[in-house]
Amino acid sequence: MSWLLDYYNYNIVAQYLDRFAVGMRNTMTAAGISLVLSVLIGTACALILLGKSELLRRPVMGYIAFIRATPLLVQIYLVYYGLPALLPFAKSWNDMVFGVAALTLNSAAYMAEIIRAGIESVPQGQIEGAKAVGMTYAQRMRHIVLPQGFANTLPPLIGQTAVLIKDTSLLSIITVFEFTSAGILLNSERVRPNESFLTIALGYLTIYCLMLALSHAVKTRLAGPAWNAQG
Amino acid sequence: MERYLLIAQSLAPFLWKGFIETVTVSLVGILAGSLIGFLVGVVRSQRVPILTPLFGLYIHLLRGTPFLVQLYLFYFVLPNTGVEWLKWESRTAAFVALSIYTSSYVAEIVMSAIEAVPRGQSEAATALGMTRIERLWHVVLPQAVKLTIPSMSGVYVMIIKSTAILSVIGISELTRQGELAILRFPRDILFIYGLIAAVYFAYCYPVLRFARWAEQRIGAARVARLD
Repeated sequence: MSWLLDYYNYNIVAQYLDRFAVGMRNTMTAAGISLVLSVLIGTACALILLGKSELLRRPVMGYIAFIRATPLLVQIYLVYYGLPALLPFAKSWNDMVFGVAALTLNSAAYMAEIIRAGIESVPQGQIEGAKAVGMTYAQRMRHIVLPQGFANTLPPLIGQTAVLIKDTSLLSIITVFEFTSAGILLNSERVRPNESFLTIALGYLTIYCLMLALSHAVKTRLAGPAWNAQG
Repeated sequence: MERYLLIAQSLAPFLWKGFIETVTVSLVGILAGSLIGFLVGVVRSQRVPILTPLFGLYIHLLRGTPFLVQLYLFYFVLPNTGVEWLKWESRTAAFVALSIYTSSYVAEIVMSAIEAVPRGQSEAATALGMTRIERLWHVVLPQAVKLTIPSMSGVYVMIIKSTAILSVIGISELTRQGELAILRFPRDILFIYGLIAAVYFAYCYPVLRFARWAEQRIGAARVARLD
């Protein structure tokens, strides 16, 4: 095994294992909080997009267009430098807060599109059928539209979550200590690029594989055969 | 207000230079990436033994890691292997990393587009006595290429946005020019990044609109998820 040590000295990685663990925890925290918040904001945006009020729809459409047409890195910088300038009390906040805020704002725009498409995917006949049996709006939403919309939304939602986890790597640029930062720390202290960057890549790949497995399980289990047939 | 105008005026030549670099890098990325991705996608759709699973692994490896990490791998790890011709300068590393990253998305799009061409087309071509290559070249690919257009414009937007990340290895594209501009005007960080965002928006938004228009025109569902 000594030839391997020249290329990838796992002993060095072992010494930094605690740093990698801290980094991974922060990555997961940032991704988790952003996921929950962006689904909430995304749902609100999706309902506005599907609603009738032009006054509300315009700003939401502008927000989504802005997020989709500018790089995440620039959005992170805008939040990182912009938030303290707009809110004086934000100056004392942790870098992590800015990172999560930027990721949330970015992800929410994509979530809005996904959730809107999910709700729209419920066939009109389903709603008409529910009306025919005398359901109220709330009953239709609760029993007919949302369960089917949710099943259609879940696979792209998992895909977006995988993207979100990958995007957290950009937080290393605004000095949040997440998983990529742990590797950069190893490289700057020991100058071992292989050990630092290959380890990071391996870590992200592991998460990706878990997400793939999850998305596969969701496709086969949750939605049932009728849903699988169409997509 | 006047001060902002003054800043914008003095930064304009640098932002222009950065914009040109962003355009150059993104064009190289889309051209080289499309070429590699097209080959990978076609091979993957043809169920070639060994190559199809190998390219599947290639796509998963690229999809499973952040672009930033891939960039670090090309910039820091490859020169460290000791092979002389892999000791790239930052610009080469950026071009290669971006092209390979792009190719993984293009490959998926090409593959789904080929699969979206109705089977009857290929079967009819078989009935006419065409070989596999002839079927692909004369019947399937011409139809598949049209289906890729909406998704390819989406990929192009994604690449333009990814070029911002190249600033971390010192490529002097738009975002990097913004960082340099902040050294000159440290009090106007927000204004400068707002300006940068506006330039990106002006570049990407028309492509996004085109993608939506093409999607409605061609009527193909988005064949692969982007961003």
